[in-house]
Amino acid sequence: MNQLFFLSLFLLGFIGMLLNRNLIKLIIGFEIMEASVLLWFISFTNQGGNPPIYLLDKPGMVLNDPLPQALALTAIVIAASNIALFLTLVIELSRYHKASDVDKIKGLRD
Amino acid sequence: MKIFLLLVLFSGIGFLLIDNLRFLSNSGFSLGAATHYYVTQGFEQTGALNLVSSILYDFRAFDSLGESTVIFAAVSGIVSLLSRKTLPVSSHGLSIIVKRIFGILTPFLFVSGIYLILHGHLSPGGGFQGGVILGTISIVFCIVYGSSFDYTRYSPQSKTILEVSGALLFLAMGIIGIFLEGFFLANWFSSPERLGKLLTPGSIFGINLGVGIKIGAGLSIIFYSIIQKRIEGK
Repeated sequence: MNQLFFLSLFLLGFIGMLLNRNLIKLIIGFEIMEASVLLWFISFTNQGGNPPIYLLDKPGMVLNDPLPQALALTAIVIAASNIALFLTLVIELSRYHKASDVDKIKGLRD
Repeated sequence: MKIFLLLVLFSGIGFLLIDNLRFLSNSGFSLGAATHYYVTQGFEQTGALNLVSSILYDFRAFDSLGESTVIFAAVSGIVSLLSRKTLPVSSHGLSIIVKRIFGILTPFLFVSGIYLILHGHLSPGGGFQGGVILGTISIVFCIVYGSSFDYTRYSPQSKTILEVSGALLFLAMGIIGIFLEGFFLANWFSSPERLGKLLTPGSIFGINLGVGIKIGAGLSIIFYSIIQKRIEGK
């Protein structure tokens, strides 16, 4: 079953986000979750047609749905800027506290 | 014990989600009304054979404008978080063989990025993808030629000017749409005999160019901000 794969990938990322204490690994778990959602989104609307590029000499081709691909492109770009901002915050935290582990960063628990 | 409880919880959530997904897939998938319109008439109305491009830069151009704003906000946030630091000479580059090989390869990288941007309305690609390839060129410069190569030749101010000019090109396309068609970000493509040519009238070509320049310069600014280092005592 196709959707089981994406679902297990999503839960894998979520469990990774919950159980890891390292900030970099948290970000990796976040990325896995996002990639699983986008993969599911594209594969669910794939009807076995051609890529959504209209060819002038072959009218009447069966094309895939272009709408989820456009939405996925938007999501990818926004996720990339999110990840850059996350990594910047991790760099600043690790320079200040000399650690990238959540438990070793003091001041978050108080 | 904690892990065991979490696994039980997630298997329950997963079972419920699978149940919903099975219901979704049994209902059968067919093209929605909006998608049917995009597939059958999108290329004639927008002049872009790449239907993803026609959706991103014509039907949902406001969405792309907001997306560029998000990237602009991310670049501003990163630069302001990592400000008042100077670039150290953190690496001196790789060996002479790698430097010569990338001296030959980098122009082709540039050409492929420009090709993806300019042909964004005809073939797979577009402003975002080509802009990312242009942004990787400065990362290649940093890794292969050392971290001061790109920084001393192309200053961050010139990259900022490039990024802002890309965003202004996007907005200018929208304002031209007001004068020609009557509303913001309207596409003024009206000649179906130019369908499939590189230079078509319409806003998609200009928006692709603006977004490509903006993304390339923005990624380069983000990379050089992240590898900067604080100088102690200043």
